[in-house]
Amino acid sequence: MTDLADDPVDAAAEPDAMKEPQEVVAAEAGAHSEHPETSLGLSNMKLAMWLFLGSECLLFGALISTFLLSKARFLSELVVGNPDVIEGLLPAEQVQTMADAGVRGTLSDLPYIFQEMAEVGSVEPIFDIPFTSFSSFVLLMSSLCMVLAHKATVDGDYKNQRIWLGATALLGSIFVGGQIYEFTAFYREGLTFGGSLFGSAFYTLTGFHGIHVTGGILMLVSLLILSFRGKLRSDRAETVELVGLYWHFVDIVWVLIFTIVYLIP
Amino acid sequence: MAETTLETAVADGGLGHSSDHGDHPTETAYWQVFAILAVLTAVEVLWSYLPLDGVALVVPLLAMMVVKFVLVAGWFMHLKYDLSIINGNVFTILFSFGLVTAVLVYIVMIAAFDFQI
Amino acid sequence: MAIIENETLALPSGDDPAVERPLGVFTRPRNQTGLKNWLTTVDHKKIGIMYGSAAMFFLLIGGLAALLIRIQLATPNNTFLSADAYNRIFTMHGTVMVFLVVMPIGAAFANYLMPLQVGARDVAFPRINAFSFWVFLAGGLMLNTSWFLGGGADGGWFNYAPNNGIIYSPSTGIDFWNMGLMIAGIGSLTGAVNLITTVLNMRAPGMTLMRMPVFVWMTLVTQFLLLFAIPVLTVAQVLLLMDRNFGASFFDVKLGADPLLWQHLFWIFGHPEVYLMILPAFGIVSEVIPAFARKPLFGYPFMVFSGIAIGFMGWGVWAHHMFVSGLGPLTVSGFAFATMFIAVPTGVKVLNWLATLWGGRLTLNTAMLFSIGLVTQFTIGGLSGVSHAIAPWDTQQTDTYYIVAHFHYVLFGGALFGFIAGFYFWWPKVFGYKLNEAHGKFNFWGMVLGFNLTFGPMHILGLQGMPRRMYAYDDAMGFNTWNMVATIGSFILAISTLWVLVNAFISYNRWKAAGRPDPGPDPWDARTLEWSVQSPTPEHNFDYTPVVTDLDDFWHRKFVEDENHRLKRVATGAELAQPGNAEGVHLPAPSYWPIVLAFSLPVIGYGVIFTLWLTIPGIVLMMVALFGWALEPADDPDVEGHHDGDDHEPEGSDGDDHELVGASS
Ligand SMILES: [Cu+2]
Repeated sequence: MTDLADDPVDAAAEPDAMKEPQEVVAAEAGAHSEHPETSLGLSNMKLAMWLFLGSECLLFGALISTFLLSKARFLSELVVGNPDVIEGLLPAEQVQTMADAGVRGTLSDLPYIFQEMAEVGSVEPIFDIPFTSFSSFVLLMSSLCMVLAHKATVDGDYKNQRIWLGATALLGSIFVGGQIYEFTAFYREGLTFGGSLFGSAFYTLTGFHGIHVTGGILMLVSLLILSFRGKLRSDRAETVELVGLYWHFVDIVWVLIFTIVYLIP
Repeated sequence: MAETTLETAVADGGLGHSSDHGDHPTETAYWQVFAILAVLTAVEVLWSYLPLDGVALVVPLLAMMVVKFVLVAGWFMHLKYDLSIINGNVFTILFSFGLVTAVLVYIVMIAAFDFQI
Repeated sequence: MAIIENETLALPSGDDPAVERPLGVFTRPRNQTGLKNWLTTVDHKKIGIMYGSAAMFFLLIGGLAALLIRIQLATPNNTFLSADAYNRIFTMHGTVMVFLVVMPIGAAFANYLMPLQVGARDVAFPRINAFSFWVFLAGGLMLNTSWFLGGGADGGWFNYAPNNGIIYSPSTGIDFWNMGLMIAGIGSLTGAVNLITTVLNMRAPGMTLMRMPVFVWMTLVTQFLLLFAIPVLTVAQVLLLMDRNFGASFFDVKLGADPLLWQHLFWIFGHPEVYLMILPAFGIVSEVIPAFARKPLFGYPFMVFSGIAIGFMGWGVWAHHMFVSGLGPLTVSGFAFATMFIAVPTGVKVLNWLATLWGGRLTLNTAMLFSIGLVTQFTIGGLSGVSHAIAPWDTQQTDTYYIVAHFHYVLFGGALFGFIAGFYFWWPKVFGYKLNEAHGKFNFWGMVLGFNLTFGPMHILGLQGMPRRMYAYDDAMGFNTWNMVATIGSFILAISTLWVLVNAFISYNRWKAAGRPDPGPDPWDARTLEWSVQSPTPEHNFDYTPVVTDLDDFWHRKFVEDENHRLKRVATGAELAQPGNAEGVHLPAPSYWPIVLAFSLPVIGYGVIFTLWLTIPGIVLMMVALFGWALEPADDPDVEGHHDGDDHEPEGSDGDDHELVGASS
């Protein structure tokens, strides 16, 4: 990952960077590479997966940026007590009653959690950091299980392969379960999906991530079924690795979300 | 084709590995990476509870986030072993295209909003 | 002479072909011809032809919309269309032309030509390739069903917030726009992954990156732009979808939202989009001009690197579409500066084409004429475009007909002229007969006349202050004459553009009447590998994998330089061409799953728009298709030559499990 900081224009030197290894591969083809028939000596599947993950960076980047902007706008309006923003957070009937009475919403009408937000100028009060830390730990743990499943597949240790695949899927499910719990808890505290910019952006960003995790769990379960049917032998370790790449990427996205959304106020 | 622990992988800078499949970290190395990730997460959480604000709060958190990112991508996703002459860094380059584009573009976008510059 | 090859060149994963019978509900389709073959094919050439045909169909819709617009604007205060109908028609005209005409024609050329030009037998993932096409078609058709289900979108092709919200646009038009383009976008994304993998990893021996034809390079850059641009649009559309269909408030100004978020996201996608529409056409003329100037392309590395530079710089100029939206001074200056710079690599390309023409022995046939048409008209459009880097000038022209003139010079006078050059150039390779030259010349001059009559006057109208997107103008405004000229021009343009299809029809009939003469593998004495196989291209592309030693390898095998640096012919294309008679070449098997998976998505889309219950059968169908796909080997075990496996050592699926990934995003 040392290339991270590189100016993209430098990466325009890509043709040379890719041409050379190709010749090296050609020279050593057969001895090392498992894909001697491809131009780069690399697997098509893995190439495709990395391209897809590169594309996903733009997707999650847009969602995270949207979250940051929406949160900032929400807070700046909440702190000054913008009645429209306050009424957005209140149930429609209550707003109607107030409108009939000819009054606008004020901060004191809001559930306590939002008053606290306005006071500290941050959405931090609604988060349950210990709980989310546990979720993050669970997801990191699942990534470990995933690499161990891959390793077991490479080694032909199918018992451990199943154990680790199962553990990955299980930990992923715990994470998704935790997210559902979190959503319900937030909703009960008054954070609806459409009532505020913060709610819309938070649920959309974390929900998108949750859907990605769910897709990953489906893939893991499929792998597990294949494994039990004796169809996930070590010569197909690449399939496990591909699912692993996806799974770790989803984990990485959560690393970002955990810090940017939850920890940084 | 010797198996690689975290230490030796660091020591040889990932060079000398010949294929995108052959040498992956040992189980020990995976556990070590996971331990570091877990510790970093714990430190992150603790840090967020410290009575700090501004740069002192945010920069260490972002730094730890980047380290975690690099650890997962480098070891669990095996990009570390992509950084070799044989593999030509292809996966890393392709992924970095997306990552760098995303980071730069969205930072400029947010800057255009937030500071009205 | 033909080396019979059992190597599975087109197998995606490098796995051994599976030998177990598929578990899917379908038996594998075997038809070599007929409708079923087209619906299930995974052949990149047939998929390319289908992309082209679908784009032609959508071109008729988009063209009809354009004519309606021009009829409405022919005279002042016209009542031919209502304001509402006019809004829908110009929105759908732009959307259809961008997403369903220009982009898929580019995809058609990329699909058909790129594997041939790099010496591959197919793309890296043939079934995903079929899926990319069908999902594009599904999205495009879904978008166009809005005409019958409440009217098309009405917010302009970029549908700015908050005008795109449910309050200002309560009909379902924008929902169709959202869902249709999101679905088509999935196809663009999978297509991009597939084609990039193919270029990087499926090249023939010796085909190093710097020996690839410029068209392949432009395809590579285009697909990278798609790969990274499409998700940005998708996010913008997801936000809008959440707002419109699920009550979110991303663009609700009352709640503190900043609608500029939409503009930013849209143009972060939109500017790369502009380049990914024009670059395939640049690639095409970079092949056509050298072939008919009898010279190698001048400055090949400059062509390649200017293309790459455009690809990178295209990400840093999006805000030039937003100069009047109240950006800060530093942002405006920065983006103005970047926009001036991006003109440099584009100018390099124009200069290289001119230098290729300079001193060449020019054959001014139709393909060449259209290429020169691109160079000329694109330069006009590029110059009017780069002038908008000057922010005050841009402020003056924003939302006037000057902008309409500019981007039509780029996209019609540029991209479409380039594509038609490509049609005339590669038609014999694809269909086995040449298009008629006399009709071609009529086609070209008619289009040049019609095009410039239509869009030339719009420069003047724009400078006079005529705004875009207004359905009527007053008699006293002084717009009458030029609007009438533009309308007359648009009909000339429509007829002469249609002449491509008329010419194809006439030429086919004459060819059939003449007893279907073979045009030969290399009718233009051209330079790249696709001319080294028979016309039309055999199903298996190459009898044996070509080995490449040079840029323009095929040319160098036909000609050598003597001691006075004069070219001397040593062989003809027909002598060198592969005979196309290889047997036992292993090709990927057709499959039903791509089309089934693709058409499950609009079911979900209609569900989101009308009733969420409908999403359930859609999702079920999608899951069935995904698992059917994953469990089906890429190869048909029952096809001859593949009984060498052992049924007792089951191999499972073909490693396509990662397809599930695509579904989850
Ligand atoms: Cu632009």
